[in-house]
Amino acid sequence: MQDVVNALVLGSIYVLISVGLTLVYGILKILHIAHAGIYTLGAFLGLMFYHMTGSFWVSLLLSIFLTGIAGIGVYRYFYRKVLGESRIVPLVISIGLFIVMQDLYRLVWGPYRQPFAVNFGINDIRINGVVITQHQIVILIITAVSLILVYLVMNHTKLGLAMRACAEDMAIAGTLGVDVERTISMAFFLGSALAALAGILVGVYENNVYPTMGEVPSYKSFVVIVLGGFGSLYGAVLAGFILAFAETLLVAWKGFVLPRDAIAFLVMIAVLMIKPEGLFRRATR
Amino acid sequence: MRKLGFLLLLVGVLSFATIKVGLFVPLTGIGADDGLSALHGAQLAVEYINSHGGVLGDKINLLYYDDQTDPKQAVTLAYKMVQRDRVIAVISGSYSGPTRAAASIYQRLRTPMIAAYAVHPDITKAGDYIFRVGTLATVQGRAGAHLAVEKLGAKKIAILTMDNDFGVSLAKAFKSEAEKLGAKIVYEAKFSVEEKDFRTVLSEIKKKNPDVIYATGYYFNASKIVTQAKELGIYQTIIGQEGYDSPLFIQLSKNHAANGTVITTDLDRDSEKPVVKWFIKEYEEKYGRPADMVAASTFDAVMILKKAIEIAGKVDKSAIKKAMLKVKGEDFVTGFKRFTSFREAVREVVCQVVLNDSFHRLCKIDDPSITTPTR
Repeated sequence: MQDVVNALVLGSIYVLISVGLTLVYGILKILHIAHAGIYTLGAFLGLMFYHMTGSFWVSLLLSIFLTGIAGIGVYRYFYRKVLGESRIVPLVISIGLFIVMQDLYRLVWGPYRQPFAVNFGINDIRINGVVITQHQIVILIITAVSLILVYLVMNHTKLGLAMRACAEDMAIAGTLGVDVERTISMAFFLGSALAALAGILVGVYENNVYPTMGEVPSYKSFVVIVLGGFGSLYGAVLAGFILAFAETLLVAWKGFVLPRDAIAFLVMIAVLMIKPEGLFRRATR
Repeated sequence: MRKLGFLLLLVGVLSFATIKVGLFVPLTGIGADDGLSALHGAQLAVEYINSHGGVLGDKINLLYYDDQTDPKQAVTLAYKMVQRDRVIAVISGSYSGPTRAAASIYQRLRTPMIAAYAVHPDITKAGDYIFRVGTLATVQGRAGAHLAVEKLGAKKIAILTMDNDFGVSLAKAFKSEAEKLGAKIVYEAKFSVEEKDFRTVLSEIKKKNPDVIYATGYYFNASKIVTQAKELGIYQTIIGQEGYDSPLFIQLSKNHAANGTVITTDLDRDSEKPVVKWFIKEYEEKYGRPADMVAASTFDAVMILKKAIEIAGKVDKSAIKKAMLKVKGEDFVTGFKRFTSFREAVREVVCQVVLNDSFHRLCKIDDPSITTPTR
């Protein structure tokens, strides 16, 4: 039972990171490695504002907003000019950007791991020896709320419609009167805001913020994307949880036979052998 | 042109008046935090030496480079420091990978190198120019076993091993010594350095109900282990080692979970020795964070080099190498005593316990049968 709780929390974190990435991938079809840099930025900004304001919720909102803006910046200044090129070009830019970001954070905030100690003032839940800590409770609730919000935005707003239209075919969406530029920017804003949210939650959960914290998510979120079927939001959500359960249960069953990341990639390869298009295929060209 | 000649002359004169010592540390990449601590430790030592009359009347000039925690880079730097900078000796403030790669180069170039805290056994096997200040994993594992079985009276022990050089060599030494002392190992598991979630294995450990848990790891793994153990209601003592020895171990643990953890390490924070008191105070004032084992070991590496140069009586690589084996003393920050004939440190092992969110002395392990390194 404890394993289920742990897997749900781990899955929530995977899902938050990958849903943001999926929004971007779905529209532009670029491998946005720097998303993990954005995630780290969110965590650092959150920590900085937390020290300044003393309020977790204020710092959360500030960080999400600013990181979202930074996401738009990444699109405007780095990706936009090379969208017409081969997909390798934005990929290389993205990798470079990610490395530069990590070193920038190190120069600004120092190389040391910094504690992000937040007490939400709620009690851990203990039922029959199963513990759900206060941080786990907060992560589960925030993830649920954000996923519902993303669902509402995607399905019940004009912006969501525009994003889906752009994901289908940008040129046609443009001719039909969708403001493509603005829609892409908004996708980056939303995606980056979700990454910031994930960064802050991980920072608090692990009590640990540091410049290279994006390293593992930088490749692991792609496992989720690939598993979920390249750009499908439902797929990303489901894949995030599947991955978390696979990792946790395998560890519970056999101990640490393999590092978690190896398990993640094995699961991905196994799924792709059976369903090469990922769990949920969405229409791609 | 004449100006240039004058400048060159000036540089030449200046370089004669100083003793050039090289330092390689990771300042970027995964080891950047330890690298900065090591750099600060070395800088503090150089400052201490230069403000106390220097070495043989000359000042030490510390040249430091970033090895990016990358063995290839450490090798490049080795050639650069010896052939271009013409350093007289080199301190490694880096991890086992880069240090091990660079050691054979320094040996070939006949330049003394002191590894401050890298643990891999093969480093000193590179040859007679290579020394180590830090505690060999076998010694520390043995000391951990004595701490667990003799001092804490453990009969059933669970072992959590971090799956890299550091963790595996420690756990191996611990296990064989603990079994020799009559304890039973009731559970064993390995985890990767990146692991963050130990709840599953900790739940297994809880079922086995051991007397103590011996867990190898760095401070960032350790803070997770102690936090999650407390969450799951595991109140047995967790025994760690110098990987835990960082103020961050305590800060990164939630709900004061670090309290009660016992570690074997090199830095005795309650020491009455003036040099230790000075170091701890000065370090915190200067760099705004409490000193850790990495900083202390690198500090000592520089101090040991200074003593060796004084014993040699001249700035000569081969003489310094020979003098190194004669360095003895009590006035180091860590418990360093001397080098063995195979250039490993003989030292006392300090056991520290976390009380009220800070490290304090629990006991010292000084028995030569435990603390003398063996090949």
